Amino acid sequence: MSTPNSATNPATKSAGIAALSLSGDISSILLRIGIICVIGVVLSFVSGSFATTDNFLNILRQASMLFLISSGLTLVIIGGGLDLSIGANLTLSACLGAAAMKTTGQPMAGVAAALGCGLLIGVTNGVLINKLKIPAFLATFGMLWVAQGIAYWFMAGQVIYGFPPSFRFFGSGFFLGVPVPIWVMLAVALGCHLFLARTTTGREVYFMGANEAAAHLSGIPVSRRRMLLYTLSGLMAGLTALIYLARVNAAEPGIGEPLLLPAIAAVLVGGTSLFGGSGGIIGTILGAVILTLIVNALNLLNVSASWHPFVTGAIVLAAVLADTLNNRGSHK
Amino acid sequence: MGPLLKLINIEKSFPGVRALKDVSFDIHAGEVHVILGQNGAGKSSLIKVLCGAYIADGGSIELEGRTIAIRGPADANAVGIAVIFQEFSLAPYLDIAQNIFLGRERAFTKAGLIDKKAMHAAAKRILEELGLDYDTRTFAGDLGVAQQQMVEIAKALSQDARILVMDEPTAAISDRESERLFEVIERLKKRGVAIVYISHRMKEIMALGDRITIMRDGALVATFLRDEASAEEMVRLMIGRSLDGIPHRTPATPGKAILTIENIKTGKLSDISLEVRAGEVVGLAGLVGSGRTEVVRAIFGADPVASGSIRLNGSALKATPDIASRAGIALLPEDRKREGLALPLPVRENATAASLWRLFKGGWFKPGAAEKVCADLISRLNIATPSSRQIVRNLSGGNQQKVVLGKWLAAGSQLFMLDEPTRGVDVGAKFEIYQLIDNLVKDGAAVLVISSELPELIHLCDRAYVMRDYRIVGHLDRDNLSEKAILDLAVQQ
Amino acid sequence: MTDSTAPTVKAPAETFRLGRLLKNLPGVSYILIAMIVVFAVGNPRFLSGVNLSNVSLQAALLMMLALPMTLIILTEGLDLSFGALLGLCGVVIASLLLAGWSVIGAIAAAMVVGLVVGLINGFLISYLSLPAFVVTLGTMGLCEGAALIITNGDPIGGFSPSIQAFYQSSVFGLPTPVLAAVAFYALLWMVLYRTRFGNYIFAIGGNKDALRLAGIRADFIHLAVYALCSVTVALSAVLMIGRMNTAHPTVAVGMEFEAIAAVILGGTSFEKGQGWLFGTVLGVLAITILRNGLNLLHVEPSLQVVCVGVLLIVALLIDGGRKRSVQGAA
Repeated sequence: MSTPNSATNPATKSAGIAALSLSGDISSILLRIGIICVIGVVLSFVSGSFATTDNFLNILRQASMLFLISSGLTLVIIGGGLDLSIGANLTLSACLGAAAMKTTGQPMAGVAAALGCGLLIGVTNGVLINKLKIPAFLATFGMLWVAQGIAYWFMAGQVIYGFPPSFRFFGSGFFLGVPVPIWVMLAVALGCHLFLARTTTGREVYFMGANEAAAHLSGIPVSRRRMLLYTLSGLMAGLTALIYLARVNAAEPGIGEPLLLPAIAAVLVGGTSLFGGSGGIIGTILGAVILTLIVNALNLLNVSASWHPFVTGAIVLAAVLADTLNNRGSHK
Repeated sequence: MGPLLKLINIEKSFPGVRALKDVSFDIHAGEVHVILGQNGAGKSSLIKVLCGAYIADGGSIELEGRTIAIRGPADANAVGIAVIFQEFSLAPYLDIAQNIFLGRERAFTKAGLIDKKAMHAAAKRILEELGLDYDTRTFAGDLGVAQQQMVEIAKALSQDARILVMDEPTAAISDRESERLFEVIERLKKRGVAIVYISHRMKEIMALGDRITIMRDGALVATFLRDEASAEEMVRLMIGRSLDGIPHRTPATPGKAILTIENIKTGKLSDISLEVRAGEVVGLAGLVGSGRTEVVRAIFGADPVASGSIRLNGSALKATPDIASRAGIALLPEDRKREGLALPLPVRENATAASLWRLFKGGWFKPGAAEKVCADLISRLNIATPSSRQIVRNLSGGNQQKVVLGKWLAAGSQLFMLDEPTRGVDVGAKFEIYQLIDNLVKDGAAVLVISSELPELIHLCDRAYVMRDYRIVGHLDRDNLSEKAILDLAVQQ
Repeated sequence: MTDSTAPTVKAPAETFRLGRLLKNLPGVSYILIAMIVVFAVGNPRFLSGVNLSNVSLQAALLMMLALPMTLIILTEGLDLSFGALLGLCGVVIASLLLAGWSVIGAIAAAMVVGLVVGLINGFLISYLSLPAFVVTLGTMGLCEGAALIITNGDPIGGFSPSIQAFYQSSVFGLPTPVLAAVAFYALLWMVLYRTRFGNYIFAIGGNKDALRLAGIRADFIHLAVYALCSVTVALSAVLMIGRMNTAHPTVAVGMEFEAIAAVILGGTSFEKGQGWLFGTVLGVLAITILRNGLNLLHVEPSLQVVCVGVLLIVALLIDGGRKRSVQGAA
């Protein structure tokens, strides 16, 4: 994402800053924090109830759901791929998890079912792309409809609701006065950030995303890395499904699919390039917060919820446009 | 009668390179004018000026005595210049007739619909004029290289091209197909088409060329009529520049065999056997397209090997690139921008890409340590970069190549396979790379070098294998290693 | 390359071409035959006149989407906004009819909507070279959103009965929608294989630069493909709301998947811009017959989608070994 100009500056070589800057260029992170502040200031003028701790926590809690589902997608996109199945994966994982919990009465059974389902879908995506050489967007797009179809069939029009309080704590509880989903978001963000910035595999993922042929000829096991990314993406969808269940206390087959477009928007708005090899998880947190703020603004302005897909679609188009122009600028 | 087309004092520069230096060149109707030169001699720049892909910085172009401006492909087309590149401009899923008339279907269109019969008949006529009996319904993608070339020629003719430029037309076709091409060229000459023919195959040059112009280092060296000079004379002029001034490498005493391959066969290669020992530089010579790159890719595991054995330090190696690189094999690919580097990433990421597994055994990446490795490489290889954070795209060709080399130095490789290590690299960096190769073998590494620049090979190598048609056709030890010896083997006489 | 490996390009006899065609039939043709046999044996009602007319009606709408999708995929592109656009256009027609517009006027308005969406897609994909799947995912959001905004999420019913009457009408005993789909196929076949525009579509897919070098405004042609295809999607909305007699804002989301699946099943390659139009017809029939057969076997609609996905993977496996496909037909 660096422009030639900023790159030619003999920047400080501090290792810490260097690691951070690759996970989403400092200036681009500051820019996004600036955007958040501007929206925040505007909204606090529009509505008196905006600038309250409760509302902040509420926005962060909403953003945490969006962030969680976007986190795996961020990893996949940095590695040069795409996962369109995350929303439907969330749906199916949530439905299976809910059913497992309901029939056994054991929260752990639900956790295992949801994570297992997410994992399986991720692995299947990886196999379709690696072994059958199906383009990533086609394989995961097909998986979207397959997972969604299974979810509708499995639920057969039912809604599963009412889970044990010990489980619901993870969606609705508070720890140190902060909603638990926010803690989960921070933990996942830390994990993803460490993975991307502080593991050799993470560094290889950036290289592979920037130039897969060169990665292959540098001895990076590209297929295995790709498998890992899609698996992680599937697993994160399963985890998001659990937090969703714990928060909403009900599962039905329409929950996940509407999250796909906002998730892509959050990743792109967060500064991760669709062309792979750049970006980072911190950007995605900020992207998720920006998207949540925009929805919050629409609500405060009394805009009907029917507008949400339209606005998200427009944001995706604007973000991919900005990404391409930005990339082209630094290419030549 | 004056020349049909005349280029006068053409100049073209790119940042850091003067690609064409005061080039003047002309061509008459019904003449084959051969341009002879090595890679990087300026031939392709000259073609690109002719077809409008480059706009010359200086000089002028005259057509039949009138000055014309070629500012783009459309201008070149309009004055009747057609170029047949090595990479063809056919649409693979259209048939021969559709390709010949692509963009000019209007002539066959009635009421919005294409009269296919008429179009195929017209295509057939053009092909017949060239003495070709092709089914015009064949898709271009199903044609062999030679046939695609013929279709390109037919396409140019159907546009009334008067000047046809052919870039290494026989580089990838068989002898019999070449003969067919020469017949066609004879027919074209009779029709008064002027042909600019680029090649470095002496045999066909002597047979075809009415005039022969030799280029070297972006400048025109000499122009002969066919019988004015011998082939030896021309080769000498083409290679010309020797690496005077730098002493030859002192040959090291080779140690044990690092790499031994026997009877390797792949989709293209057959019966490749060679050996590289510790402390020596071995050359892999041959013309472009003779299979040199395929050999190193097969050893690295980038292309599947059908049969034969590869042994590294005596033990069998069934390689994929990740296994090969961990076993100590390094590959510096021919096209560093597409296969060697991640251009949008900084120097540090590129320099450590192949060695992360080795530098950080537990899998935990330490930016400080990577920074240190990278800083060491920058000073050791004298890479001109403001910092390790510099985006690799912004480095010069020579410094980019040093980064790719550094990538493998960091990986602690013991066998370096270098495919055209100095292509697109300025002279200063070139010598630094030579020095580096020298240091590598002194430290006991084995080096296998591919190069199209014969003086470079002769300067660097202790011995060389020569390839032709995907086979090794000869081996030259140090005493016998000369440009003539290599060309004798590499060029089919 | 040695002499023996150089392919010869002598004019082959007509029969030989037919043989080549048969040899290169996509895997879906075998699946199709197998399915017909299995369903016919499994349920006698499968081959009944009522059921066959049902199948053909269901195939008609999918055909209206899959045929233009073929053109787009031939340009190495993709359009994920088809389903959402179909829903939006249905809503536009229905609400305008309720507002007192004439049938022609309402359909014309829907075509304008399709044109605008197609122009957005085409401009971003062709002139700015943005990746098609993300662009059309974005416009999918726009269309879905616009349909929701217009309807507030509720289905629209009670509009002019002429639309349903048209859907249920027949000419010479054949259902009008089926005839429309057949006519549409004939039209697209002419365009693809007998006009300059068709040539340029194949050229864009294989080698867009070749088209540029030939002096054609390749970017404009590329844009036009998206624009025209979206307009035809708008027209197909008539069939959709005619069948249901209501316009539901999001009911058609997901139809783009079946359309894409039909194209891929038919042997058109995603990454290489090669393929043939009749293969798409086979793909549409395979999907429709699969769903119909599963219906007769009382398999839930949601599981049928899963089966379409499985069918797609099986067909890709069958075709996997074959690198070269046929352009056939022409």
